[in-house]
Amino acid sequence: MTHSQIETLDAGTSTLTLSLDTGLYPRDVLYAAAYVFLDRAYVLLDRDGSRFLVHLRGKQALDEPTLRAMAGEFENELLAQALRQRLVRANQRILEDITGLAITGAAGGSMQEETAMIDLQDSADDGFLDDPQGIATPWEAKKGALEE
Amino acid sequence: MTSPASQSDSASVKLHRALYMREAITDAAATFADFASFAVRPEGDHFVVDVSGIDREVEGDVVAEFCNFALANTAVRRKTRHA
Repeated sequence: MTHSQIETLDAGTSTLTLSLDTGLYPRDVLYAAAYVFLDRAYVLLDRDGSRFLVHLRGKQALDEPTLRAMAGEFENELLAQALRQRLVRANQRILEDITGLAITGAAGGSMQEETAMIDLQDSADDGFLDDPQGIATPWEAKKGALEE
Repeated sequence: MTSPASQSDSASVKLHRALYMREAITDAAATFADFASFAVRPEGDHFVVDVSGIDREVEGDVVAEFCNFALANTAVRRKTRHA
C-alpha cells in the first residue's frame, strides 16, 4: 500500500476518499491541510487502523478530472503544511528571541539604560548637548539676534 | 462512516474521537442550533451525532456544513492549545 492513495472517487456525487499513512502525516498537518479545503469542499476525517481517511465532497458539482486534481492538491497541501510546521519548529527559538526583543523595545524596558551611549550623569559626556557651532540654536533665536 | 450528505429531516454522523474534539462538536452544534437539533453521544471510537429536525429551507447542506465547523473548531482549538 502506498503512503497516500485515492480509495474511492465518484463524479456523480462529487465525492472522493483519500487514504493516508498516519505515520507519514501527523494530525496537525492533516488538520491544516483540511482547513484549506473547507471553503470549497465538505471535509470529513476518519481513521481506519494505521490510515487516515479523508472524505471530500465538492460544494459545487465536480467531474472526475477535477476530483483527481483536488486529490492531488490535497496531497500537495499536506506536504506544504508538513514543511511549514517543520520550519516553525526549527526556528522556534529565533522567533521567540525576536518577539521578546520587539516587546522589550516597545515596552521601553531596561535595555535602554544598559546600552545608553551617553552618560547623562556626567556633564563632560553630554554629547549632543555640547553645541560649539550653535547648530541646535533655533532659527527664530538667531534671526532675532541679527535684527536686534 | 456515515455520509454527512442528507436529504431527509434527520441524519446521523460518526466523527472519530481521535480526530474530533467533543467541545468542538458541541460548539458547532450550538452554531447550527437554529437549523437542526443535535445530540452527541460516544460510541466506540466515534462520537455519533444524531441530527434531527433539519430545516430544508436553508440553502446548502446543514449536516455537511456542521461537519466542516466541527473540524475547523477542532483544528483551531488544537492550535490554540499548542501555542
